[in-house]
Amino acid sequence: MNLEKYTMDADEELFTFEFESHGPKGRIRKIVQYTKTNWKDIYNLGFGDKDENTGEISDFSISNNLDSNRVLATVASSVSAFTLKYPHLWVYATGSSESRTRLYQMGISRHLDEIQLEFEVFGLRKNQWIPFSRNINYQAFIIKRKNINFDL
Amino acid sequence: MTIKQLNQSNVPIIRLKSSMNKLSKEVLFPEKLAKANEMLAKSDWPIK
Repeated sequence: MNLEKYTMDADEELFTFEFESHGPKGRIRKIVQYTKTNWKDIYNLGFGDKDENTGEISDFSISNNLDSNRVLATVASSVSAFTLKYPHLWVYATGSSESRTRLYQMGISRHLDEIQLEFEVFGLRKNQWIPFSRNINYQAFIIKRKNINFDL
Repeated sequence: MTIKQLNQSNVPIIRLKSSMNKLSKEVLFPEKLAKANEMLAKSDWPIK
């Protein structure tokens, strides 16, 4: 996806990423973290704002910094980096609200053809995982790098 | 490659910082993680 994105900082194991959103509301520190769930090989994607003064992290804040596409593209590129390092892991993602889940869904839908070249994508609907399709509303998403064999 | 091309490429631009290693030892989004575990438990995901 040739989308503009922010440069990220990350820990050496690529579990936590930080970047700065720039816009009319100023600079807002964003943080992405991949955390092990109770399920084998599934990591949860956590994403939110970090208050640099208090260190407080919130995934409910709405920053309105008019750069949501760039922020989403940056979060997506952290998924790309994380799964390049850990190609056997699944990444589970959902929004902190229905509207935010919808925003993620729209982002996936917009770039689905490109995403599916490299990733398997499933959506959770009525508690069942089904291959992601456009125009269906999901409760959550799960994504993993496809096993690509480069041997000839 | 120019900075603009680099920014528009698929390659994520990441600066590794050892100072961030301590962040990964704590769960920064505990409610989100709990919700993920709950949703996965209710779902038909095959492998626990």
